[in-house]
Amino acid sequence: MARISKEKRKTGLIDVALKLFSKKGFYVTTIPDIAEEAGMSVGNFYNYFKSKDILAKELVLYISEYLGNQILLINEKDISTEEKIHEIVVMYFEMATKKPEMIEYFLRVYLSNREVFGEGCEGMVCVSPFVTEMMMFFNDGVAKGDLHDQDFFSAFGLFMGYLGGMAFLFGEKILPHPLEWYQESISQNIYNALKKRQ
Amino acid sequence: MHSKKDNKKKLLWLQGVTCNGNTHSFLNLPYLPLLLSKIELLYFPTMEALYTFEEISECKLSCDILVFEGAFDPELKRNDILIQTMLEHYSKNAEYVIAVGSCASFGGIFKASAPQRNSGLLFNESERTGPMLEVDQKIINLSGCPIHPEWLGYTLNMIINHQKILLDEMHRPRELYSNLAHHGCTRNEYFEWKVDAKGFGLKEGCLFYEQGCRGPMTHASCNKILWNEVSSKTRSGTPCFGCTEPDFPKQNFFNTKTNMSIPEDVPLGVPKRNYLTMAGIAKTFHIKRLEGKLIDYKTTP
Amino acid sequence: MITKQLLEHIEGEASVYFDIKDDKVDFATITFPHFRGMESILKGKNALDALVITPRVCGICGHAHLMAAVRAIEDAYKNAGFEIKLTQKAQKIREFTLIMEMIQNHFKWLYMVIIPELVKLISIKLEKTPLKGAYAASLSAKAIAVFGGQWPHSSYMIPGGVTSDPTFIEIMQARSQLEELIKFFEKETLGISLDKFLTLESCKDFNGFSSDLTNLEKGLIETGMHTKGFAKDQFIVLGEHGFTNSSKLKGTRTFGINSKYVSDTDAYSPQEITYAKNALYKNEYYEAGPLGRMLSQSVPLIKNMHRRYKDSAYSRVMARVFEIGYLLEYSKILLDNFDIDEDSVVTVTDIKQISATGIGVVEAPRGPLLHKIELKNGMISQYHITTPTQFNIGSSTPQTPTPVQQAMQGLAKKDALFIFRTFDVCSVCTTH
Repeated sequence: MARISKEKRKTGLIDVALKLFSKKGFYVTTIPDIAEEAGMSVGNFYNYFKSKDILAKELVLYISEYLGNQILLINEKDISTEEKIHEIVVMYFEMATKKPEMIEYFLRVYLSNREVFGEGCEGMVCVSPFVTEMMMFFNDGVAKGDLHDQDFFSAFGLFMGYLGGMAFLFGEKILPHPLEWYQESISQNIYNALKKRQ
Repeated sequence: MHSKKDNKKKLLWLQGVTCNGNTHSFLNLPYLPLLLSKIELLYFPTMEALYTFEEISECKLSCDILVFEGAFDPELKRNDILIQTMLEHYSKNAEYVIAVGSCASFGGIFKASAPQRNSGLLFNESERTGPMLEVDQKIINLSGCPIHPEWLGYTLNMIINHQKILLDEMHRPRELYSNLAHHGCTRNEYFEWKVDAKGFGLKEGCLFYEQGCRGPMTHASCNKILWNEVSSKTRSGTPCFGCTEPDFPKQNFFNTKTNMSIPEDVPLGVPKRNYLTMAGIAKTFHIKRLEGKLIDYKTTP
Repeated sequence: MITKQLLEHIEGEASVYFDIKDDKVDFATITFPHFRGMESILKGKNALDALVITPRVCGICGHAHLMAAVRAIEDAYKNAGFEIKLTQKAQKIREFTLIMEMIQNHFKWLYMVIIPELVKLISIKLEKTPLKGAYAASLSAKAIAVFGGQWPHSSYMIPGGVTSDPTFIEIMQARSQLEELIKFFEKETLGISLDKFLTLESCKDFNGFSSDLTNLEKGLIETGMHTKGFAKDQFIVLGEHGFTNSSKLKGTRTFGINSKYVSDTDAYSPQEITYAKNALYKNEYYEAGPLGRMLSQSVPLIKNMHRRYKDSAYSRVMARVFEIGYLLEYSKILLDNFDIDEDSVVTVTDIKQISATGIGVVEAPRGPLLHKIELKNGMISQYHITTPTQFNIGSSTPQTPTPVQQAMQGLAKKDALFIFRTFDVCSVCTTH
């Protein structure tokens, strides 16, 4: 029983940290801030995370795993690649709307403070669950003959850069419509850009 | 009273649609004279043996070990006799039928001569629909294009010594085909850290990522029992073409088939998702030692 | 009366239909009964796949096919405007392994074919020792594998060079195989040193010592092979190499040659379907192989032989044995002048850019081997192979006999059968 509650408290800590980091920024947010918001002592915080940097890295892994698991569920569905693209877009926008801190953290903390994520989080290490699932998605799409065979990063950049850009515009409150409003056209655009050329 | 010679196993070597490559490979066996002294050679394609082909084709003799090289073609005749007739006759009393090479094992290169007709003895590619199903228990497949001489040397010695040969589901001796061509490859460290070869003609780098190497997917002991006692394809910078597998020959031998840069085939038995996770992480560690040339005769003082 | 004779132990098999009159061969036609369709297998494949598939034309000279294929592709690059300049190192390695394959072939032919066949015809003592041939051949194969990874069926030559990247250790390994081979040749075949052998100038010199070589020579004389087996007395050498001069020879006189004049024609085989085509140069039949190659190099001993015995079976056999020594010596020079600093392979344009035709010509153990390739965006649209045996062992009409048909004419059948084998026949190549 005790262990489950410890896990839960760790998740609670992660949720709090994500919100604070994405709202206030990585450097401004302190460990006492997080501990206080989570309703625990600073000393107890260190039982969960040895440092702020380690917490920051775990958060990336947490988001990456969350995203990876969502895409895995879509990858394993018996639907067309075009439908999968649509589902990934819907899933991503839903996440950006309901859990904006996750995407915000990714864009504003992970991508903007590379010095924090150098050691132990370089390259694919922390984002591997998510990137691996995208690799599986692209691999299956090409193998099925639905997608155009090209360099992975050319395709990955197009797909995720587009979604990240929209999430950014949404976060900045620039978009006149809610994200959901764009789902259909964006899915279509991505599919048209990536589909097998005749 | 039987003389000692009478106890020797009688070996007969027949050929289907072939290039003779297995015959010539076998002649490279380092202990060939010793091995041949232990058997009675009824017929061999490139040297005189006890009988002429005309005598063999009459189908009046019998053998203990029937070796068959080349793809099986039901219409192929030698000396006006269907090879099928000879196979049926000689396999009847043989203890073992050894299919040497990928053509005899699975159809191989010369299945393509007549794809609807030609096959291996027991398998047609990976399907068990060859012409010799009735004697399947006798069949040992030594796939490879060509066979490694030591693979046949091992098989014959095991038979001569009355030792049991464990076979895999494709009827290949486990002792020879449970390894992958990847095992013992001198480029293994590059594979571990996902350092690809920057091109051909280099000692450095793994040939799996770009150059089409099928070592991690191919059952063969080429890098364990070296070719001609000195080398192997991958050691000399040539990718493994997967010639021991039922799907040989594939196409685009010098190119790794990828889907959006992701290898279509990943190491045998490894789920692709796991492989990609591991590969992605391994790639992020830049191992300095593996990035440059191992020896540079030009710049090293 | 026409009788059919099956010929085995010739890299596959062939049938000879003899028309015998008064116990002599009046005329003979030759049939190669097995078809494999290599050229059609190649169609529609990536050009580089030819480097893997064409060596599988032949188990004994697959390396020559590899080299012809890579040269054909490189020629297509050139014709498409992307000329490839190989490094000296790559050229030498290729040449070395090609020569080693020739040597293994000649040793096998000598000990597994010619000596055992000659023994059937003679009274003097000549031992059948086929495994000597296998042993020497395995040493040559080992030397190939040092650079090529394996033999048979290596695919280590690629457009721009070779895939291997030898160090001094490999060169020493190859060198030690070569020394072993030379020692073997001296002790088991020649009975004299290689140096001495290469300085022999007259057939009379064979009287001074005793060995497999001299016994072979005596056997050939005893059976009158110096007075039999005359073919065209015109030869072609097409492959460009350091160890031979590509030329057309009429007797010992040399003329220029261009492989574009090679053509083939359907064989004449009235009794049975044959899958072989005859190869011609400027619509004429020429003999191919070691005798022509050694004459093209003006080797004194071979010229002496030719003066005495013309293009008899004797000269044909002895020139092939001589070529072993000649090539062993040449291989030493190749290995001794090896610049390890050079690149194994030069960068070439992506094959997909190449739409052109190309021709690759090499000297294979039995003579010129030609691969013609036609590429569209790097894919093979046509592939055409012409092999040495097609030059030597064509089957034509009595009016225009091929070298082997002419060589067998007027002889007793047993002599004709021996002479057939003096050409070193490769059935599998012929019916690629």
